[in-house]
Amino acid sequence: MKFARAAMAAGLLAGCAGQTASAATGNVLFNGTITATCTITINSNGTMTVSSNLQSLSSHNAGGSAGSAQVDTTGGVSLSVDPVTTTTVPASDTTATTWTPTFATSGAQTIAETGTATALTVPGTSTVAVNLAGTKSGTNRFSAGNYQATVTLRCE
Amino acid sequence: MRRIALRRIAILAAGLIAALSPVAATGQSMTPMRGEVRSFTDAFAVRVFPGNPYNQRIRVEVHVYDQDFQPVAARITPSAFLLAGQASRPVLVVVPFDGANERKVRICTESIPFPSEQTQIRAQICGKFFGHRRF
Repeated sequence: MKFARAAMAAGLLAGCAGQTASAATGNVLFNGTITATCTITINSNGTMTVSSNLQSLSSHNAGGSAGSAQVDTTGGVSLSVDPVTTTTVPASDTTATTWTPTFATSGAQTIAETGTATALTVPGTSTVAVNLAGTKSGTNRFSAGNYQATVTLRCE
Repeated sequence: MRRIALRRIAILAAGLIAALSPVAATGQSMTPMRGEVRSFTDAFAVRVFPGNPYNQRIRVEVHVYDQDFQPVAARITPSAFLLAGQASRPVLVVVPFDGANERKVRICTESIPFPSEQTQIRAQICGKFFGHRRF
């Protein structure tokens, strides 16, 4: 009797050995879309100093400093600066000044100093140095007092 | 009366289409930055999420410009507000077609610069949005 049971079990095992499992398999797909994003964080504002001939008020001059900002992006955006429209000058300064904003980046993407819109194609964090230069021509000179200008740094 | 109600529903629906795809995340200055909206009315709506990446509260303004950066008379709700650090909030922008069948606009989030500095930097994040009018 014991022999018969063992023989039956062995037979069943041998019969199942060649069979494949009946479990089904399937693929689960995952999709993700990242749209262009951009974050600007202003680290510090800039400082302008006047040149010895009093015709340049610039963050490039000795003692001046560029403004600093951090840009975090996925890429696919462009960085630019707007022409300066908002300025405060001393009452004694009545002559025209030409303001020229520029920017340069380092970090994830390096952009040499420029005033024109430039594509940010590399994702990551870049540090932006924003400079501003005011110039006077002819016999015009910067005068004593407080100057202030606003540069718009745009990511779009 | 019914026409006005349908118009409001269509504007809201168009806004939802633009707003549902992206999810606002903390620390982003504005999302989405791209969008295409179909509208059955004489205006299209976009919902954007300006964000404050700083740890302190800042004042944020939202403006709408055309392709030449001329201001567009859009309805922005709210157009200026204080935003807590690391926070974002929805802003609804309704842009009129002004008789055109399609319109490209920039919706820009601007932060107000720190005061009392010689050279101030104004951060501006602009998204490009394309509205199509369907009859």
